[in-house]
Amino acid sequence: MPEPLVEPSIFSEAPDEAIRLAIRRVMDEQSVSDLEGLELDTVIVNMGPQHPSTHGVLRLVVTLDGELIRDVIPVIGYLHRCKEKLAEKRTYYQYIPIVDRTEYLASMNCEWGYVMTVEKLAGIRPTRRAEFIRVIVGELMRIASHQVAVGTFVADLSPLGTAMVFYAFRDREKILDLLEAVSGARMMFNYFRFGGVRFDLPDGWVEKCRHVLADLPQRIDEYENLVNDNAIFLQRCIGKGVITQQDVVDYAITGPNARASGVATDLRRTRPYSVYPELDFDICLGEHGDVYDRYKVRIDEMRQSVKIVSQCLDMLPKGPVQLGTLRAPYTLAPPPGSAYVGQENPRGEYGTYIVSDGSRYPYRLKFRDPCFINLQIFPKVLRGVKIADAIAISGSFDMVLGGIDR
Amino acid sequence: MDEIGERLAAAFGDELADLHVQEPDTLVGRVARERLHDVAQRLKDLPELGYPTCNWVAGVDYTTHLESVYHLYSWSTNSYLEIHVEIPRDVAVCDSVCDLFPAANWHEREAWDMVGIRYAGHPDLRRILLKDDFIGHPLRKDYVDLVENHPHA
Repeated sequence: MPEPLVEPSIFSEAPDEAIRLAIRRVMDEQSVSDLEGLELDTVIVNMGPQHPSTHGVLRLVVTLDGELIRDVIPVIGYLHRCKEKLAEKRTYYQYIPIVDRTEYLASMNCEWGYVMTVEKLAGIRPTRRAEFIRVIVGELMRIASHQVAVGTFVADLSPLGTAMVFYAFRDREKILDLLEAVSGARMMFNYFRFGGVRFDLPDGWVEKCRHVLADLPQRIDEYENLVNDNAIFLQRCIGKGVITQQDVVDYAITGPNARASGVATDLRRTRPYSVYPELDFDICLGEHGDVYDRYKVRIDEMRQSVKIVSQCLDMLPKGPVQLGTLRAPYTLAPPPGSAYVGQENPRGEYGTYIVSDGSRYPYRLKFRDPCFINLQIFPKVLRGVKIADAIAISGSFDMVLGGIDR
Repeated sequence: MDEIGERLAAAFGDELADLHVQEPDTLVGRVARERLHDVAQRLKDLPELGYPTCNWVAGVDYTTHLESVYHLYSWSTNSYLEIHVEIPRDVAVCDSVCDLFPAANWHEREAWDMVGIRYAGHPDLRRILLKDDFIGHPLRKDYVDLVENHPHA
């Protein structure tokens, strides 16, 4: 049996372990299958790590049989920045800006998850006004994140989608302006503090926010009008890359990807934190768990987030945004023990597990990143589909490599 | 939570040691290394109170020993169960639960990569976040970062 053809990589001269594994799998499969003797057109291709459709430095070692995908081996770690190691030498307070840089499209939500875990460890309760501000910035971030997700996903599918990116980024800009007014930064906010948030909302911010929110539903309709009736778009989405409900359970899929399969898992409802129990919103569910449902769930969630933020603006109580008792947060040393808190990120359950030994530095910190876990099902979903569909499927997963590689 | 704890204690007895509730909704228990795969299998198949989802796995170095932490989720009772498995430092081997929970696959690879816990029975125990030729396990507390550890950096 001849060895499969391997497309030469510009990144390394010798085939690395992932390529060798792909070759081994092809050889094993051929020797046991009844296809022996048949000339198979097997090619191993490196997709990435620099490929526009992978939305970051994700590398997929794809074994192709003609145009069909036989096997996929995801290779990650190109964006590894040793975040869990860095935690050993940073105080709890110093670590907040580093959390920003894990899942950089949803920095606010990541900070929130980390801060909540430390608060659980140290037994701190944030002020009520701060809780509302957290929900507001968290949900604004969710809208902005879904705009990037939907925009780039549609852009992957067709030239028409380039317009979608511009539409989505035009509206995301307004949300980033709001977040900049609150925190001083546009992407790496460093806004959350133990027991509250860093700054109160500036004067006139609530009105500005209402103004943006009033405009958003029409904008979201605009996204839908752009593609929802497009026959090519629908053909490439419907019935492709199905995740079943059993897959959700087996692979611990969370977030919109799980909800698209009809599994009502949303930490804001199933294990509510902050002030979510007081707010009125729906969990958006899909039906079939295909590419189209994943896109649709994200669109619907944007509408729900607009609803949540509007409610919070109405209910916003007066009061301090930081705990007066926590004078020197950089000396915070939670008692020995461990804690895990999961938080509903735009991409799923973003959890932080911290082991404290009673010092000012986390003894061990581990992130449960939703993209890292959702990516595991990739080989299963992609096996047997056409390579062109793989682009649509990977776009619909909405991955952020900063979170996967940490 | 206490009721779930009692039912687990009745079903597993000593196999799930030190079972206690961590507020608000997590049960924490300790399992012997040899019994891990068997206990995990039974936890998954437990009637009415099954834990079919492995949320994450983490390796922790406590200097005296290593620990593998499994975080399981029960959909029927909407509760977490955290299992701690103690692993000696000199023979850092533990059974893989990858065949029961596909979600544990990459987490076990990460724990091998970072903390150096070898999961017996894992189908594909390669490094995941670091390079293939990296030397050492950086999240061990006695890890010293040398230039030689990064051959192609």
